[in-house]
Amino acid sequence: METLLAPGGQALLLGNEAIVRGALEAGVHFISCYPGTPSSEVADTFARLKEECAEDAPAYDLEYSVNEKVALELACGASLAGAQSLCTMKHVGLNVAADPLFTSAYIGLPGGLVLLSADDPGCHSSQNEQDNRAYARFAQTPLFEPASAEEARLMTRAAFTLSRQLEQPVILRSTTRVSHLRGAVKLEPLPEKPVELAEFKREPGRFVPVPQVALKRHRVLAAQMGKARTAAEESPFNRISWPKEGGNPLGIIASGPARNYLADALHELGLEEQIAVFELGQTWPLPEKKLEAFLRDCKGVLVLEEGAALLENDLRSLANRLAASEEKGSESLAAIAGKDTGLTEFGEYSTSLVRQRLERWLANSAPDLAAKISSTQFGADRAAKGAACAESAPKEQLAARPPNLCAGCAHRAVYFAAREIFGDEAHYSSDIGCYTLGLLPPLRTADFLVCMGSSITAGSGFARASGKMVVAFIGDSTFFHSGMSGLANAVFNRHNLLLVILDNGTTAMTGHQPNPGMLQESLGSDATHLDIEAIVRALGVRHCEKVKALNLKKVQNTLKNLAQEQGVRVLIAEEPCVLYARRSLGRRRQRVASFHRQNDEARSCLAKLACPAFRMRGDALEVDHSLCGGCLVCMQVAPNAIKAKNR
Amino acid sequence: MEKPAGAKRLRIFFAGVGGQGTLTASRLLAQTALDAGVEAVGGEVHGMAQRGGVVESALLLGGWRSPRLDLGEADVLLGFEPLETLRALVYLRPGGAVFSSSDALAPLAVALGKASYPELGKIQSEVRKVASQCHFFPCRELGQKAGAVQSGNTVLLGALCASGLLAFGPDALKAAIGKYLPPKIQESNLRAVDLGVQALASAQ
Repeated sequence: METLLAPGGQALLLGNEAIVRGALEAGVHFISCYPGTPSSEVADTFARLKEECAEDAPAYDLEYSVNEKVALELACGASLAGAQSLCTMKHVGLNVAADPLFTSAYIGLPGGLVLLSADDPGCHSSQNEQDNRAYARFAQTPLFEPASAEEARLMTRAAFTLSRQLEQPVILRSTTRVSHLRGAVKLEPLPEKPVELAEFKREPGRFVPVPQVALKRHRVLAAQMGKARTAAEESPFNRISWPKEGGNPLGIIASGPARNYLADALHELGLEEQIAVFELGQTWPLPEKKLEAFLRDCKGVLVLEEGAALLENDLRSLANRLAASEEKGSESLAAIAGKDTGLTEFGEYSTSLVRQRLERWLANSAPDLAAKISSTQFGADRAAKGAACAESAPKEQLAARPPNLCAGCAHRAVYFAAREIFGDEAHYSSDIGCYTLGLLPPLRTADFLVCMGSSITAGSGFARASGKMVVAFIGDSTFFHSGMSGLANAVFNRHNLLLVILDNGTTAMTGHQPNPGMLQESLGSDATHLDIEAIVRALGVRHCEKVKALNLKKVQNTLKNLAQEQGVRVLIAEEPCVLYARRSLGRRRQRVASFHRQNDEARSCLAKLACPAFRMRGDALEVDHSLCGGCLVCMQVAPNAIKAKNR
Repeated sequence: MEKPAGAKRLRIFFAGVGGQGTLTASRLLAQTALDAGVEAVGGEVHGMAQRGGVVESALLLGGWRSPRLDLGEADVLLGFEPLETLRALVYLRPGGAVFSSSDALAPLAVALGKASYPELGKIQSEVRKVASQCHFFPCRELGQKAGAVQSGNTVLLGALCASGLLAFGPDALKAAIGKYLPPKIQESNLRAVDLGVQALASAQ
């Protein structure tokens, strides 16, 4: 029996899987997504359940949309039609989807809609670490922030309930640590029969936001958020634990995943019973009454939140408002500390970081408690611990293992060809996917990158402003995501750009999700293949060539020919992702490369390709055949040193 | 969720190279702990960070809430590759325990002549400076002996479970293997547990 469909019990689940379970328990009808780390496992799990457990899985519609804006609009449409909808994306995806988010909050969504924004503090796999809690404030949506797998399940359910009740979109915000933690989850029963769709009643005065309607709906939104605030006041996810001794204690208000670090740090310091802790999990709108009471009952308050000082600023503004409205001024309110204690807005928090800042804060606001710490076991250990940490740091630089394009990856062939031909003469405009790794030496084929789809547009702008040659690289999924509009613009505005579409037939970086470029045989009967070459030509590109990416000579010659032309030129380099071909298409290349001469050509090939299957055995270069992807690009680069042989 | 009494808090750091099965091993141990009634939270990093690079995960037992380990916090370091054991040593608290494979997987930078691979003896002496106990096992060879190279990771898990550091022993690990691993790899993994237990016993 599939754990995620079990009727009860307990399971060890990934945070993202717990979100799936929560949505299933809520009776989700419709899921749309654009994949992106760390959000991808949510939709992928729904896809897997549909494929592997069709008989047992509840009925739901799932789609991989071409981008986040499209995905959110689909979910809005489904929710207008009364379906409980879930839309998943990574944090930067919400920038793309911001347009429907703002206006859907105005018109409201009868079926309910939960939007998963998976943030990435620490930039584990992202181009920025933006804090999407700001979107809840900006677009006026309720916000839930789980910190554990169990909370991920519970809050997903609660988000659906609140969304349906208020008919408003609700944001569920996870972070990399929450999406990718693994923890115990209680399984509660799944609905026995499908939840009924909410009825759509034609009401253009609500659902068609022409200016007069929009102005009216803005006020309705404010009223709905008032109700959401009341819900937050009563939410079990916003809870206070008071010290046993009572009195007028010090307090900490902690939000989202920072609550974990706080709990562990207080345990280490032995202060679990000494400080009042206000845990915020349903974090927007803020439960202002409850917070006000906390500010009055504590003698000092520290605000703990990973990322921007959003909660802290809101609390300071709340305290100012309260102080202005009473005669005694701010005397009865706790002093608020936050980022000024050295709690950074950069990167991820950790238990150590939180513990150190807590100690700093306590030293100022409660010297008696601070003194207790230094007498604990932990306090005595600390100096030794710090010294030993520094001691155990390797003295010399250890051989690094930077991420690298896989052995057998066709991107390497195209990048090698481009660098051989254009060297530093061209400027390379890169995009988002595995192929961003082209930035690493020796390939060095990424000079700038802004966001999804910007290879074409930022490349066009760079070429126009500088008059220099720009070679842009984009993958197939990114081309469908937001490359097509940029290409239409490049043709329309007569830009000068050589665009290479690296078509590996899948969304490789995030785990091989479908996109319209995927072969029909892989898409099955639920989706239709779109031909990239036909689209490029239909967008008005006159110089468009398609090559097999592993045919090095052909790639090089075509690039040279296209470089002679002016205007928008497109090379489509086709070759399935080597991992996808092996795992999903059952295609494993039958030959592998072998060095048969240890000459300069061999060494130069190693230096120019840096394929991870190359290794040294003693003084000799060899190919690790368990890693070799069989692309045989190295054989084309070094024909006198490398031969193919059967696997 | 109920808090099992008496389960000591313990933080374990796993380090390996992409494709070695580091995450699978940490999941198996997490599942073992949970079935043994020990609270467990694991932390993994997916995506770009793991392509051909270093893979790290964490398992925190006995009531910790955060899935993340910072420098000097790990009670136990499990290294599936010696260079990664050395790289991850900063995560170990002084006096912690290290269980590591002694089989090297040289990074590409070594083949490119841009870096050298440290001698195993040097790695071991660095580890001994911080750890109160450390064990290096030829996991590839032991895995092969168990029936599949990939089960080499389970040798380390077996040794850890036999060390007495955890609230459960090798039998709990075996039960989890029987419950959660695909049937065709169960036998080799069960043998790997025994080999890990034996390897630890003969080292002590």
